[in-house]
Amino acid sequence: MLTVDGISVARGRTDVLRDISFTLAPGRTLAVVGESGAGKSTLIAAVLGLVALSKGDITWMNRPVRHCRPALVMQEPRSAFNPALTLHRSVMEPLRAGRLPGDPVRLTRLCDGLELLPDLLERRPSEVSIGQAQRIGILRALIATPPLVLFDEPLSALDAVTQKHTARLIADLQREEGFAALIVTHDLGYAAAYADEIAVLQAGQIAEMGPAQDFVTSPKTAYGLTLREAAFALGALEHVA
Amino acid sequence: MTIIATGLSAARSGRIILHTTDVEIRRGERIGLVGASGSGKSTLGHALIDSLRAQGASVAHVPQSPDEALDPLRSMAFHWREAEQALGLALDPSRKQKLFAALRIEDGDLRKRPWGWSRGMQQRFVIAMALIGTPDLLVMDEPTSALDPVVAAGMMDLLDRYLSDRRTALLLITHDLGLAAARVLRLMVMAEGRIVEDAPTPDLLRVPRTEAARSLCAHRNWLALPC
Repeated sequence: MLTVDGISVARGRTDVLRDISFTLAPGRTLAVVGESGAGKSTLIAAVLGLVALSKGDITWMNRPVRHCRPALVMQEPRSAFNPALTLHRSVMEPLRAGRLPGDPVRLTRLCDGLELLPDLLERRPSEVSIGQAQRIGILRALIATPPLVLFDEPLSALDAVTQKHTARLIADLQREEGFAALIVTHDLGYAAAYADEIAVLQAGQIAEMGPAQDFVTSPKTAYGLTLREAAFALGALEHVA
Repeated sequence: MTIIATGLSAARSGRIILHTTDVEIRRGERIGLVGASGSGKSTLGHALIDSLRAQGASVAHVPQSPDEALDPLRSMAFHWREAEQALGLALDPSRKQKLFAALRIEDGDLRKRPWGWSRGMQQRFVIAMALIGTPDLLVMDEPTSALDPVVAAGMMDLLDRYLSDRRTALLLITHDLGLAAARVLRLMVMAEGRIVEDAPTPDLLRVPRTEAARSLCAHRNWLALPC
């Protein structure tokens, strides 16, 4: 279980995250939503240990998070790969870093789950579509069987149809693999459709948090309501008779 | 006045990326040009803008990336002045204040160059520049992609009022049918460099006739909730 216990992160004299607490169990998905600058990406960096905490603690199963080797899926898939290497070599990097043995059966199963033809991995990042690149980014994140996967706006570079398709593939793999997923997104529609819980981050603090379905039907805060109405106004959520 | 552009086409490296296309837009009409990535939407938008400007029509364009609209060596104040001068408008601080407040960029420092502003603020600045004058047609290419949803929804609401007041036509280019369906009355669907479907929004949502339209309709939102 991921436990984020009362953390704050300061940048200069300003707290960019303040008193953030939540837990995330294996197999569950927490979506963190909020406007640009709310602190969503800083939260990812904090969980990964990339920024210093001014207060609080973050653990996975009561140990520092780094021990579980969490994986990260980034927003811009092509720039997440070394352009000089084949995608296969990049995908295998987490195994090399962890000195773990490669498992061709697992690689094939993940490729099947992500609808990737194996020969795509022999190409370089510039030779695949952006949708394929993002699915290969997810493949790289999952190859070493991490128990915790962090997704930083994983769908925002994709077109609307590819977004929904990729979201379904992630959810299917999560059911098979059982990893905990922390998703940072500004797309409330995605969060409502695929997360178990939603946390609304506003100016570095959690304004509200609860089951995704409750949030969609009755947000507790004015800001949560504003986010929900924006999702309707942009067609991410829709009312039907 | 109806805007008409005929015989629009484009090729790249010997490959046709926009097959010969005619477009007709009535005054004040709001149209969504939708399709998957690479279907030719932006190419048609550029071809339409070039054709209409050659005919002398006034067309404002909000490109997909603010990089296409802003000179990195010029201040934001320079861009604003240049836009007002290009349209032959007198300097009017209240116009600027109104647009900046509506787009929530009133705190932006105009002395800075584009890279001194965030991407979202740059995009909103470009949208504000497009709203300065009274064009016959406003072409917006993925206008919300760099914005967070609250700002994007506010911008689209502002746009609705602006278009209604001036009877300016809108061509909204987007891969997101949900966004287009919430904002326009007519949809054109593109696939492989062709407009494959052109219908009133409710009709297309109810009975999409082509595979491209069916795929977009099937993925037009994340959740449909009962009223």
